[in-house]
Amino acid sequence: MSAAKLERLLNLTALLLATPRPVSAEEIHERLREHYAEDADAFRRAFERDKDALRSMGVPIVVETVPGVVPAVDGYRIPRDRYYLRDPGLTPEELAALRLAASVVRLEGLSARDALMKLGGFVGEGDEGLGLSVDSLPAAGVAPLFGAITDRHPVRFRYRGRDRTVDPYRLDFARGRWYLSGHDHTRGADRLFRLDRLESPIEVLADRTFERPPVPQPGLPLDPWLLGEGEPTEARVLVDAAQAPWIVQHLGPDSVVEERPDGSVVVTMTVTNVENFRSFVLTFLDHAEVLDPPELRDDLVAWLERQVAA
Amino acid sequence: MSGRRAPAARTSASDRVARLLAIVPWIAANDGPTLDEVSARFGVPRAKLEEDLQVLAMVGLPPYTPDTLIEVVMEGGRVWLRFADVFARPLHLTPEQALALVAAGTASRALPGSDPDGPLASALAKLADVLGIDPTEAVSVRLGESRPDVLDALRTAVAEGRQVRIDYYSYGRDERTTRVVDPHAVFAHQGAWYLRGWCHLARDRRVFRVDRIVEATVLDEPVERPGAPEEGADDPFELGPDVPRVTLELDPSARWVVETYPVDAVEELGEGRLRVRLAVAATPWLERLLVRLGPAARVVAADDPALAEAGVRAARRILARYRR
Repeated sequence: MSAAKLERLLNLTALLLATPRPVSAEEIHERLREHYAEDADAFRRAFERDKDALRSMGVPIVVETVPGVVPAVDGYRIPRDRYYLRDPGLTPEELAALRLAASVVRLEGLSARDALMKLGGFVGEGDEGLGLSVDSLPAAGVAPLFGAITDRHPVRFRYRGRDRTVDPYRLDFARGRWYLSGHDHTRGADRLFRLDRLESPIEVLADRTFERPPVPQPGLPLDPWLLGEGEPTEARVLVDAAQAPWIVQHLGPDSVVEERPDGSVVVTMTVTNVENFRSFVLTFLDHAEVLDPPELRDDLVAWLERQVAA
Repeated sequence: MSGRRAPAARTSASDRVARLLAIVPWIAANDGPTLDEVSARFGVPRAKLEEDLQVLAMVGLPPYTPDTLIEVVMEGGRVWLRFADVFARPLHLTPEQALALVAAGTASRALPGSDPDGPLASALAKLADVLGIDPTEAVSVRLGESRPDVLDALRTAVAEGRQVRIDYYSYGRDERTTRVVDPHAVFAHQGAWYLRGWCHLARDRRVFRVDRIVEATVLDEPVERPGAPEEGADDPFELGPDVPRVTLELDPSARWVVETYPVDAVEELGEGRLRVRLAVAATPWLERLLVRLGPAARVVAADDPALAEAGVRAARRILARYRR
């Protein structure tokens, strides 16, 4: 980019930031006549391109009617409260910690360097000598949802064959995928959505805002046996010693109700999706056993008997 | 990893504007920093920085008389800015930029060695405040399950080039073994942690899932066979041609198999049904898949005839346990 274009974009930004009232295109042309062609059409084309370039960087250029002019004419300005980044007051140690984090954990197609620059530049070192690495996380569709969460805008997308309007509360990355939890107005209930299963692009309803519930959202459960509409049932499952450490780590120590002398454990699980529960228990093959309730035990036995008979 | 590279020079149109809009407030807020310091801190070569600052001296507000232009003073290798109030603060963070930092920070807090009350935690709290979110509520990132002591031991072994002894439950083979491994890398991949290295027991390269490592002990012995730098560039989970294959017919409800496991071939059979060919690294893996899928899958061909019966055999074994 030429120095002239850099100079022009900076002057345009300064003009629109400094003005308390919207400025018409004609006035911009007049004020910045050294930077734009004299011809009105050529100016208009260049001005549109510049506006697009600034907006693509996140510069919030708003269009408003210029007051006191008849007939009405569009004017432009940059509201300062929407342009300026409030100073988080990061210490050099904090800036360095963020840089280190961003060098270890990266999101596909998103760069943390622009954010770090705005916060005060690159301080400290990268990830030298940490002994571990993290593959880039997928990021398709995640940033618009994050913006909608922070700005409290509802979003619209298609999921499982239905168009839904959702108040987005929270994003979770787990098991290699992103999940969105939020309130689904179409269903009138809190729901969990797998982002890789969205059936349409995400539309952010920027002209609307929602109130977050006063109680912080705990994040919807991600365990598959809890992803159901059924009545919650407490199941007890016996897991053999070889697999006991894994299940305890997976479910958390609070789930253990009995530790047997042979090293096996009995865990409790709250089940709302019988099919997913059965599938999970079967991954242990003959190293796990549903103890109760009888209906879940019978379901699993009946499932296996069908397989043997087939 | 990319963090080791020096930040690259940037040239694209908006990038130069964006960079300057970030640098200006910092210079203005600091009393005459050296050009070298600004250059290093913002990853911009000094010559380019000076070029940009010269352009800045042509920027200001109407009527663009000298007293309304930004004053740029470069002297003795230092730089001062005056009348730059219009650019007193950087441009707000875009959702992309905020997410890149918050997600990275949130994920890193769970890494071994991270201090829960350290600068990363306080940085995230400050960022969350600026973004108007609860620091722990808007985004959470779980890179993979692991016992913190195990992950810490493994990364120490990698960083120090020492052997590690692991107590490992092999999910595929359904057996628990103790092995000594020359660790080459510990990495998070699609929601799970893995250890890649030379296994002394198998006398071959192996990839282990960290959540299946029950215990890990760093040994004093240095690694005997270090990893080659090109390792890991290919898919660590690719199974070789010597591994037996099965062909399954899947109902629509079992299509997730294709998304979850690497398949050699997929054929649409109509009405959402699929025929797929899969590599079977170990029999228990196939048993597990077949008992979970039940009537939604049928084995139609198998390199090894025993594999064709794997689902039924496993179902009988499990049933025996329930009939005891």
